[in-house]
Amino acid sequence: MTQLFGAPIPRREDRRFLTGAAGFLDDLGHDALAVALVRSPHAHARLVDIDVSGALDVAGLIAIYTYDDLAGALAEPLPLLIPHPALTHGRTAYALARDEVNHVGEPVAMVVARDRYLAEDAAERIVVSYEPLPAVVGIEAARRADRLVHDDVPGNVGANDTQAYGDVDAALASAPHRLSLDLAVERSASTPLETRGVLAEWDTESGRLRIWSSTQTATGLRAAVAAKLGLDLTNVEVITPDIGGGFGVKIVHPWPEELLVPMAARALGRPVKFTEDRGEHFVAAAHERAQLHHVEVGFDDEGRIVGLDVRFWHDHGAYTPYGVIVPIVTSTQLLGPYKPGAYRVEYDSLYTNTVIVTPYRGAGRPQAAFVMERTMDAIAHELGIDRAAVREMNFIQPDEMPYDFGLTFQDGRPLRYDSGDYPATLEKLKKLVGWDAFEVVREAARAEGRRVGIGLACYVEGTGVGPYEGGHVLIETSGKVKVATGLTTQGQGHQTVFAQIVADELGVPISDIEVVTGDTRRFPYAVGTFASRSAVMSGSAIALAARNVREKALRVAAEALEADVGDLEIVEGVVRVKGNPGAEIALGTVAVLSNPLRYAFDEASQAATQFVVGDPDKPPVADDDEPGLEGRDYYSPPHATFANGMHAVIVETDPDTAEIRILKYAVVHDCGNLINPRIVEGQIHGGVAQGVGGALYERMAYDEQGQLQNASFMDFLMPYVTEVPHGIDIDHLETPSPLNPLGVKGAGEAGVIPSAAVFASAIEDAEGVRITSMPISPSELFELRRTHEDRR
Amino acid sequence: MKIAGEATLHAPIDRVWQALGDPAVLASAIPGCERLEPAGPGTYLMTVTAGVASTEGTYSGTVRVYDRQPQSSFAINANAAGVPGTLGTDVRVRLSEVDGSTLVSYDADAAVGGLIGGVGLRLLTTVLQKTADEFFAAVDNALTGNALTGNALTGKAPAVRLAEAPAPRRFPPGVLVGAAAGFALGAIWGRRVR
Amino acid sequence: MKVRLVVNGVPHDADVPARRLLSDCLRHDLRLTGTHVGCEHGVCGACTVLLDGRPVRSCLLLAVSVDGQEITTVEGLAHDGALSPVQQAFADCHALQCGFCTPGFLTTITAGLRDNPHPTEEDAREMIAGNLCRCTGYQNIVAAVLKAAGP
Repeated sequence: MTQLFGAPIPRREDRRFLTGAAGFLDDLGHDALAVALVRSPHAHARLVDIDVSGALDVAGLIAIYTYDDLAGALAEPLPLLIPHPALTHGRTAYALARDEVNHVGEPVAMVVARDRYLAEDAAERIVVSYEPLPAVVGIEAARRADRLVHDDVPGNVGANDTQAYGDVDAALASAPHRLSLDLAVERSASTPLETRGVLAEWDTESGRLRIWSSTQTATGLRAAVAAKLGLDLTNVEVITPDIGGGFGVKIVHPWPEELLVPMAARALGRPVKFTEDRGEHFVAAAHERAQLHHVEVGFDDEGRIVGLDVRFWHDHGAYTPYGVIVPIVTSTQLLGPYKPGAYRVEYDSLYTNTVIVTPYRGAGRPQAAFVMERTMDAIAHELGIDRAAVREMNFIQPDEMPYDFGLTFQDGRPLRYDSGDYPATLEKLKKLVGWDAFEVVREAARAEGRRVGIGLACYVEGTGVGPYEGGHVLIETSGKVKVATGLTTQGQGHQTVFAQIVADELGVPISDIEVVTGDTRRFPYAVGTFASRSAVMSGSAIALAARNVREKALRVAAEALEADVGDLEIVEGVVRVKGNPGAEIALGTVAVLSNPLRYAFDEASQAATQFVVGDPDKPPVADDDEPGLEGRDYYSPPHATFANGMHAVIVETDPDTAEIRILKYAVVHDCGNLINPRIVEGQIHGGVAQGVGGALYERMAYDEQGQLQNASFMDFLMPYVTEVPHGIDIDHLETPSPLNPLGVKGAGEAGVIPSAAVFASAIEDAEGVRITSMPISPSELFELRRTHEDRR
Repeated sequence: MKIAGEATLHAPIDRVWQALGDPAVLASAIPGCERLEPAGPGTYLMTVTAGVASTEGTYSGTVRVYDRQPQSSFAINANAAGVPGTLGTDVRVRLSEVDGSTLVSYDADAAVGGLIGGVGLRLLTTVLQKTADEFFAAVDNALTGNALTGNALTGKAPAVRLAEAPAPRRFPPGVLVGAAAGFALGAIWGRRVR
Repeated sequence: MKVRLVVNGVPHDADVPARRLLSDCLRHDLRLTGTHVGCEHGVCGACTVLLDGRPVRSCLLLAVSVDGQEITTVEGLAHDGALSPVQQAFADCHALQCGFCTPGFLTTITAGLRDNPHPTEEDAREMIAGNLCRCTGYQNIVAAVLKAAGP
């Protein structure tokens, strides 16, 4: 049988998506009551009164909830998901606003009605009185702190933290060369095509709650709902339907709606469903990316960094449910594949009266890569050295692995790179994009009056963070293999990739394998899908569980076949004695035998009944054994495993219009062993597209009053096919991870991490103007050119 | 939940006091009231069709008037149950004369249970408030001119109706009987007051 | 208001308010949930269906305004259980990840290839330039268009 691990097989789950038979959240619950939220139109205001009388005339109105209807734990603020000692002033919202609102879009009341149209009619007629307060918008305003978002948070500072190694002040003071840089990245957002949604059913008789949610964490949501609604965990089920993209925004939980909808279902004894609309998603979900950085770097004549001092300010919006994960990721991943002699990074995480900030694909890494790579380019420019050569000078070498920085990563564990060959990755990239020969290309273009530039950017990504994931593998008496893991799926092809692993581990045809993810009924212990961890975490756990099953199957088969375990192999779902055709037993039959029966339920199962099989002198189920052919195991790593990659891009800028065109985009990517190269490539394509968006188009345009001016697809510009490169050249390096049984590393975020950096690098190379903030649109480039020329 | 408010009734305090003690007035003024039958001193059996946002239903229960301070104040304790849930309330009513009119102020403590309790506090209090306003407006009508018997005969639509509600009901004959009995009782009460 | 919509060859009668969007009518009144709603303002294209053969944004149409017309949705692309060439090409080329935008692309491309059966790569890009995808980055979707067009 051909090995499936590493094979680019087509996906097995596609049919239902292609034929319109998939089940996304809004496709479910046709008979459920509908929900509409009344949301704050003010960025900062005191809540004075909610007058619902106007809504009474709306036919089909069922209920209206405000903060007054929240009891017990529901009346307390939403959970602070990831506490951290540096987060001294963390604040979370109430599920429905209590006394004040802190961003446009904050939910104030929830209407339940017969359908969504009527719910919105009723919501429109509810009159909320506010006393507007001055809003704090943008990092500069937050730092100035002449107004506060929360009265009890001085300076709008939610957290301040520093990590360091070496003596950076001494290093800078004695450095032969020094540079200062001020860099900025603007807000963007995950913006999956499917917005959020939640459906809840309450079984009055049994007191059980069943929830479907478009979430990246079924188990996280289950725990939060049980806690907030005062239910036993075992009385709450969370099922993830098909999910139309997450990209980080759906890891936040519990959203207010994820608590209010179950609450309403219980209060009304009817199923209730919330489907977010796009306009809401812009102001009621989450954003990410906005940071301001100040860099002081000291380096020697060859461009080796002797000291790097980074001070940055992170805009986390109105509340901090996700803690300070994003700035921690920025702080630590900023180092990339390099080893500055000394390093210090300090950040302030600041409140503003805007939508909350939680991880969006990359989760602070794009900002980190932007800062480090701009710094590298600046050093190269200062010394007149090739930009690739400067980077090579600073690389951690393969023989220095594992490399421990003495810093703490976002999982609370040491920042320790386990593997990677950065020089080899760079070599591949240079070849792929034609780095060394580019000057010839540039000259040829110049001769035609065209302006081209080339850029490169490197990154390292900590993937596969814990605490753990689990896998369950069960073989039915029919021979069918059922696999379950608790994390969730939003398009990553888990039903194929995890089946590939099991097919190889067990020796069964992949068509016999069915995979279920994100259903607490099938697997109740899990963390979630985020931070490029599912292949590492669930892949490993499933492999381990499958190995347990294999070991048991061989043991049971050996007894049945009267052979040694060592002489057995499993091929196409049949256990057979090597070199002895005919001495074989199907896995389904092994499953029958593994469960000693009193009652046969069909002819095959007669083989396992008490008068047919079993040693009368031994207990039917041994002390250390269990009935059935199934295995459950968990993978819990000591720390993250570090993938890396490098991107290069050749752009052309129009001398008149400043339009930016992508001529060539190259990626070299190292995520260890690849389970399915086609799926990994798909992840890179998607990440690069989001990277193009972040580099050139996507920003959240808040005005001074905290109004989001581009809260629609008409004005928030995401890339169409016309904006992405015509083809992406991809090459892989595989330095397997030593930390997990499969040798894999995460691949989900790779495409998006260095994009802003690589475009800045290439545009700067084409134009000769300094690019210090992203995104950059043609009109901004136009302005930059003008200012640059004025200065000259 | 607490509901409080006041209403001005355009009649002197003694007529207001009498009206508020008159079951026929009450039966026609209480929005959605189908039946108000005396069941002992100061106690009535009441059936009301009420609804808040599609939890409409018929509620039956008892209303007890007590703590009567003639021309001054009284209290009501009411409890009703219907398919959608239960309603219990305790109300204090105070009267004071203002320029030939009467200011009625009330303070109610209400509790709901069952599905009707799941519709949200604001919705409930708003509806109860509206019901109270409608009630006093109807009493005011009765005091200022519209013939009481006319109202009892033509019936009265419940005050707060949502488009899903069935058509306004007419008072079934039983109510008239009840109203007549109420007249009698009210007359007795009225005589006691004098 | 009563409407009759012929969807994938099957007549459906529905009684809907005048303001009911075609996308909601298909999804909730007719229970054909294959057509998805990504933005409700006509930009993302996830809701694209074919109206008398032409791609339209069903989130921008009122159900009552297409009374009596023929609509093709993603559920009507396969024949006797066999995937259409466009659907098969998507599977072959890994042109979908989460699948939410996919129905809109499939209907758009089905009409596009009917009008231009032999597109160049530029044509293929033009054909899908009005549909948003957040997962795939479009590379494999372009490949799927060309594959579906055939040799």
